[in-house]
Amino acid sequence: MSDVTDLSEVIAGTVQLRARHLTRHFTTRTPGRGFNVKHIVRAVDDVSVDLVAGEVVAVVGESGSGKSVLARMLARIVRPTAGDLILRGTQIPRKAKRSLAYASQVQLVLQDPFSSMNPVHKMRHNLVRPLLIHGAKREDVEALAEAALTRVSLEPPSRFLDRYPHELSGGQLQRVSIARALCVEPRVLLADEPISMLDVSVRLGVLNLLRGLCDNDDLAILYITHDIASARYIADEVIVMYAGQVVEHSRGTVLVDEPTHPYTQLLIASVPDPADPTSVGAPTAEQVQMVIAEKGCRFNPRCPFVMDRCRVEEPPEFIVGENHTSRCWLHADKPQFEVEVALPQRRGGGEITKT
Amino acid sequence: MSTESIEVSGVVTSANETSDVSVVTTPHTDQRTDGPAMGQRILDVRNFSIDYGWGEGAVRAVNNVDLHLNRSTVLGIAGESGSGKSTLVYGFTRLLRSPGVIVGGEALFNLGPSEDGTDNIIDLVTASEKELRSVRWSNISVVLQSALSALNPVLRVGTQFEQVLKTHRRDMSKADRRARTVELLALVGLNEDRLRRYPHELSGGQRQRVMIALALALDPELVIMDEPTTALDVVTQREIISKLYELRSRFGFAMIFITHDLSLLVELADEIVVMYAGAMVERASAQALYDTPRHPYTLGLLNSFPPMHGVRTELTGIPGSPPDLTDLPTGCNFHPRCPYAMDRCLKESPRLEELGEDGRSVACWLHSGDEGVVVPVELRRTGRGKREPIPMPVKEDVS
Repeated sequence: MSDVTDLSEVIAGTVQLRARHLTRHFTTRTPGRGFNVKHIVRAVDDVSVDLVAGEVVAVVGESGSGKSVLARMLARIVRPTAGDLILRGTQIPRKAKRSLAYASQVQLVLQDPFSSMNPVHKMRHNLVRPLLIHGAKREDVEALAEAALTRVSLEPPSRFLDRYPHELSGGQLQRVSIARALCVEPRVLLADEPISMLDVSVRLGVLNLLRGLCDNDDLAILYITHDIASARYIADEVIVMYAGQVVEHSRGTVLVDEPTHPYTQLLIASVPDPADPTSVGAPTAEQVQMVIAEKGCRFNPRCPFVMDRCRVEEPPEFIVGENHTSRCWLHADKPQFEVEVALPQRRGGGEITKT
Repeated sequence: MSTESIEVSGVVTSANETSDVSVVTTPHTDQRTDGPAMGQRILDVRNFSIDYGWGEGAVRAVNNVDLHLNRSTVLGIAGESGSGKSTLVYGFTRLLRSPGVIVGGEALFNLGPSEDGTDNIIDLVTASEKELRSVRWSNISVVLQSALSALNPVLRVGTQFEQVLKTHRRDMSKADRRARTVELLALVGLNEDRLRRYPHELSGGQRQRVMIALALALDPELVIMDEPTTALDVVTQREIISKLYELRSRFGFAMIFITHDLSLLVELADEIVVMYAGAMVERASAQALYDTPRHPYTLGLLNSFPPMHGVRTELTGIPGSPPDLTDLPTGCNFHPRCPYAMDRCLKESPRLEELGEDGRSVACWLHSGDEGVVVPVELRRTGRGKREPIPMPVKEDVS
């Protein structure tokens, strides 16, 4: 981890939030016969991600893959079991309490806009409250709230400030919750499935808004989704998670166009594709059920290409192309390099090129 | 399935000022009409309208909709939230709760040939509670969107099957019921051990499969799916859809599938109806709707899906928000969001007209055939093979 502290000044310019080896285990107890059986759920296991100004990183995975826990750890709502968070070059002590300063830099937008707004208060209250908490002057807050609404294209803002959440449509409400996250001027926006509760016709509007914020305001965005098509549409970097692990990772959307991990292939085959009705090749029941293997590759019970080795040994991340890794034994015979060398090739420079 | 009382009005009061459609007073004659043979047709909904509320404050949620469905076919209903797609279906199945009121129309359901050879037809709108009770679940069943709130949380899955079979199939013995339940669970790919579980112990996909198994318990002729996959992730959705596909080809029930995800319908449905603000705007076969959309709203919906192939380009989707039903625009409901809106669209509301292309209807002035109206090239395409989104002009000043 020495590279992190050494290069902290350089990184501060581009990498806004860096997570290294983030891990979160939950302990559950199932009542057994006379005693409790203790289980450890590895919700997130050794995930590293860099959120860079002006880029969207998409995390794709189905329910239970640990993607929301990852977002909550990045927002410091869930405390990691292990791993480091570095916000703009400063290492965050793991035991420290979540501070207001951190929250003003890293904001989270939730999936369901209807339940993330206080239903008995108008939009004005919902927007002004975070501003006051983060120390804005009372006489400025009205103007700041209006500016935030304008930023998410809710115009004229005066029309929306006096509305209650139930008076707005889902798309408008999600825009307000993005505005609420933006009004404290964060550097990092964590969007946890921001479009999955919205109507198809307004989804693109929200995606375009996020992309615009990223391009125009140099925001670093983490976009969490189960829909790999929307990740392809918006992302600069795509991470596919399964059972708490990163199984495939690529710069650009290479992994969508040329998936190398069987799980990514399953995700892609599941997207409805009316252009190609012959693709209705349904996954088998074994492929669908979320079974996590205790031993070997975590995907092996669902994998159509499973080999003996997969049942015994857990695969490391293999390099399968330029800035493209895949955690699958199928790629074991490819020539290997240091993983750290291949991945971070950032736009705008100022990055680790350890040799 | 609940059997709450529903206001059925034979008398129609056109309370909604914004609606320019004069609602025809439906003659309610005999409850069970031995009318013309419906043949292959299983459901015929005519001039169906539903209001929320009464008198001055009434809001027209479904406006003069016609639907028909043949045996063993899949009809897809697509539209945004608030487009009236669920209200319509709850209306003709008589599951609508107050303040929803059916203000006009009939819903003829074909129970099959009777002894004298004519079709045994029931009008669901005027049917009594007793008649409805015999039709529900045995002939028409519903799979609701949220399986967690549709299943009884304090009863084991097995008990819920047991209760359905006990109520509707009095002659079944306990062993028969148990055997039937196991058979039903196997149909949807669930193991017998799930019977002892409570709904909260199952995953979202498993719960939805339990709902589907329950809906099929009495071999219905028509299964209604109200957004069965909306709360699920794509992999589980894919699995549920292929399960439904398989079950339908095996048992041959007809299906009405409600969703806002048009791309899903194109794969699954035979015919698709697109609804906007309570009215039908386009009806066509699934492939025709996908290849050659005729209504600007349909085209907008089709353009709203980021493609999985080809070059990444910025897509626009549909600007603006779904309309507020209490404050509908004048003329065509879609005109504030429509990039092709003309003067006429601001004043007059278009009716659903046959286009003369293989059972396709569309409600849009662009296709009225009026002099001087040029249909934009993207709305008069012919032929197949659309892969890239069809570009559409961008509508300015929509808030």
